[in-house]
Amino acid sequence: MHTVISRLNSNVAYTSSVLGGLVFMCFLSTFFLDYTTHAQIGTVNVVVKHVSDYSASREKNDLGFLTFDLQADLNPLFNWNVKQLFLYLSAEYATPKNAVNQVVLWDKIIQRGENALLNYKSMNTKYYFWDDGNGLKNHQNVTLTLSWNVIPNAGNLPRVQAKGSHSFKFPAEYTTSRT
Amino acid sequence: MDFLRSIPTHMDFEGQARAENLSRIIVFLFGMVGLVWGYIIQQFSQTVYILAAGLALSILITVPPWPFYRLKSVKWQKARPDPDVADSKSKKKK
Repeated sequence: MHTVISRLNSNVAYTSSVLGGLVFMCFLSTFFLDYTTHAQIGTVNVVVKHVSDYSASREKNDLGFLTFDLQADLNPLFNWNVKQLFLYLSAEYATPKNAVNQVVLWDKIIQRGENALLNYKSMNTKYYFWDDGNGLKNHQNVTLTLSWNVIPNAGNLPRVQAKGSHSFKFPAEYTTSRT
Repeated sequence: MDFLRSIPTHMDFEGQARAENLSRIIVFLFGMVGLVWGYIIQQFSQTVYILAAGLALSILITVPPWPFYRLKSVKWQKARPDPDVADSKSKKKK
């Protein structure tokens, strides 16, 4: 501590230690919070086609199309340790081929400060709902759920599933016209 | 040049201890205030800014060798005659 440089160094080093402690306190203050909330999901228009999936092979696979409604108030999830939420809507169903199929149909990033009161009507999906075979036609129980990743300033990266899901059926006939 | 050399830039031992303690207290207090304020308004960035202000204040107060860190300078005893030097001198005389 006898020179200007050594005092400057010790000041900066001690401040960075304190900053680490503050970040840890911020993490602790939000670690035990519950990041679940309710979401209302519904489907409006559901059709299934039988077309070639050129990204996989030339065989024809089932391709589902749906429009959905989504209502959720995610404002309570934000606090001083949340930078953004990554939302994703996934469909889960079982087929004779696979016990569990999960397909992400839509996602969205909500940064802190942006509108977190979701109210979507007849939204199109962002991603294709491909089955790896013929499992979608006449499927009686496909479940849509909304989940999100909480991206914090510091701490763990929780993956949370919303309370509330929606199950729907695919029609028994393929649609051949453009919809 | 002599004028520049005449400016005292040292701290005495007690001054160094005071400077260190002072810097720890300032930075820690600003950190605590920042934590509380940031929690109240739910903005961690404000916590970091307040801590940075504490660092700036601490650097201003404790890094330059201000005169009040030089109040208790070490009092040196007078130099005793060095017996070795005396010996060598006497040997030379021989």
